[in-house]
Amino acid sequence: MMNAKQTWKGSIKGWLYILPMLIGIAIFSIYPILKSFSMSFYTDYQFLTDTVLARGWGNFTYLFSDGDFHLAVVNTLIYVAGAVPLTIIFSLLFAVLLFRIKWLSGFFRTVYFLPFVTSTIAISMVWTWIFNARSGLANYFLGLVGIHPIDWLNDPKYAMLTLIIISIWKGLGFNIILLMAGLGNIDKRYMNAARIDGANAWQIFWHVTLPQLSPTILFVFINGVIVDFKVFDEVFAVFGGQPGPAQSAMTMVFYIYQQFYVMNQYGRAAAASVILFIMILIVTVLQLLISRHFDYRRPTKVRKAKGGVSL
Amino acid sequence: MKKVKMFGMATLALFGSTTAISAVAPVAASAARTKVVLWDGMTGPYAKALDKIVKGYNRSQSKYTVVRQSQGNYAALNQKIMAAAKSRTLPDMAQATYTQVPDYQKENLVSPLDSYMLKGSDKISKAQLKNIYPGFISSSKWQGKYYSIPFSKSVRVMLVNQDLLKQLGFSTPQSWNDLEKIAKAAKAKGDAGIGFDASFDMELEGMSTAAGNKFVSKNLKVNFAKPKVLKAANTIYDMLQNGEAWTAGADVYGTNRFAEGKTAVYFSSSAGVTISASTVKKFKLGTAVFPSYQGKRATEFAGNDIVMMNNGKKHQAGVWSFMKYLLKNKTTEQWAESTGYLPLTKKARNSASYKSYLKKNPLFKAAADSLPYGFQATAFSGYNDYRNKMLTAIDAVTAKKESPSKVFPATAKEMKTIISDNK
Repeated sequence: MMNAKQTWKGSIKGWLYILPMLIGIAIFSIYPILKSFSMSFYTDYQFLTDTVLARGWGNFTYLFSDGDFHLAVVNTLIYVAGAVPLTIIFSLLFAVLLFRIKWLSGFFRTVYFLPFVTSTIAISMVWTWIFNARSGLANYFLGLVGIHPIDWLNDPKYAMLTLIIISIWKGLGFNIILLMAGLGNIDKRYMNAARIDGANAWQIFWHVTLPQLSPTILFVFINGVIVDFKVFDEVFAVFGGQPGPAQSAMTMVFYIYQQFYVMNQYGRAAAASVILFIMILIVTVLQLLISRHFDYRRPTKVRKAKGGVSL
Repeated sequence: MKKVKMFGMATLALFGSTTAISAVAPVAASAARTKVVLWDGMTGPYAKALDKIVKGYNRSQSKYTVVRQSQGNYAALNQKIMAAAKSRTLPDMAQATYTQVPDYQKENLVSPLDSYMLKGSDKISKAQLKNIYPGFISSSKWQGKYYSIPFSKSVRVMLVNQDLLKQLGFSTPQSWNDLEKIAKAAKAKGDAGIGFDASFDMELEGMSTAAGNKFVSKNLKVNFAKPKVLKAANTIYDMLQNGEAWTAGADVYGTNRFAEGKTAVYFSSSAGVTISASTVKKFKLGTAVFPSYQGKRATEFAGNDIVMMNNGKKHQAGVWSFMKYLLKNKTTEQWAESTGYLPLTKKARNSASYKSYLKKNPLFKAAADSLPYGFQATAFSGYNDYRNKMLTAIDAVTAKKESPSKVFPATAKEMKTIISDNK
């Protein structure tokens, strides 16, 4: 069947197979996206009757002049720039270690994976206790090494750091599993060859493992960026439904939530989500373009450079 | 697919509407009776208390069957109402804050009560209307018409650590001057005198109103940066700066910190008294009426009303019949006794049975004694937007330690824009 010639009948049959899924995606994903795009231009809108009294760029001009929105964009960028690389570095470290020790590695893999399968809201409750300024675990340990207690959750200077720490912890499990799968796919012969050539462990890691792992790292990176751009649950739960002290943890999705559900400003919320969409799109495309230069497993690059053959 | 998810908010609205539809499950009612659906945000013991009242109402007459459907908390309730409005599956009545009414009315989600409440065979008399505390019923009116009846109402009160107060050599504070002295004495001993929830906005509006300025006046003039408000705000700001007072921050409620026993007075909602009473173990707990400021006393009511939804169905007479039942002295007294919310009418407050209830439950007396001083903040279209700005300003004072005189004027300007944009 796989090699069957493409026929009209065959195509129709194929489409029928995926039709139920397509209908689901169209109703629950494509339609809301298109609707959000069109809603972002509603400047005067009656929610109940769905009557649009006026359309225009008003929502976007509001966002471009709204200090809260600027803050949300800046905070989101700081969060992504802080959380994504750190999560990957720690995940890589743990993945390589777990890959090397066979003993208890299954146990540790489960332990690291737990945050991923636990409800963010429930886990955030635990974190609020850990980061409690007066009775929390974090300050207790800091106290042991002589550091003064930090008001993690109520000091605007530390709120973002708190979020980043939680994000790293939460992201570890999923990334470790992916990276370990990537490590398992690397042909052992590369490492053996390097070893024969006299490379030490660090050289093997830097010149063999890391380049071979680059597609997995790229996936983890893109996935991390997209997930972290949309951070919301942690903020909501850790800061008691508020965007952190003095809005220091106001992120873009929190802003969208506030505009939509708290203030009932549907047009503004849609406009903000369109901007978020464009931002993620730009970052993702950039990542893909840059990654081509670092992908050692793509023979096309060399061929392209030499003979201009494109695939 | 991943990118798709960031439109969660818009998608959620759609999902929300489906949940709302499923929530309106058919409930068996006898054929002759009309089913009237109530959506509320009551859970736990409050839900049980409301169930009892609904049962009582259904037994009391044979025309209507009220079916209550809890929608979770207030935020979820509000979201579901918006979603149901969209899918045209609104219930017949719902719990809502009176500050939500102007926006609901603008979206045509609610119906005025006047044609039932003030006219017709089932109307309430002038004496009955006067029997409801003015602080409650005044906020039921929007643009000259009644849109809601008060229901689950609470008030700001002081929770007092009687042991610590005694140690410091003070009696229960009556005024903000007393509080300032207590705060200083406690600080000298290494404790914080006064605790607030995450935001002190309700305490501040109480003080400002006592001094003669609500944040927004009845005719929608913004007073938020007026000298009287700033002066009151500075009183609290100075206490916070000097370490004589704290706010709960990310804990939202200060109950746990107060229960540690190192705070003399903690401002709380009267609806939180039950929880505090069970949390406090280390000291003798007392309650007191909100202190006077510049010789006057004003304390802010909070809580929810019940509105008649505009769902195009003809159950409005049934809705009003149930609302009228809720305003009965006997019903509101039963509600107050089983929940700790305030009785809505003067007769219920002064009834012998409620007085004997207060004797048995002295912690609730402060809330009941607050009734004559209660006021409610001015509601208007765009209130949620306004409130968000107001809370952000207060947050800048507590979290960033910026002075009210620096923060409030800019906020007042934004408030003015919101009000004029929504006119």
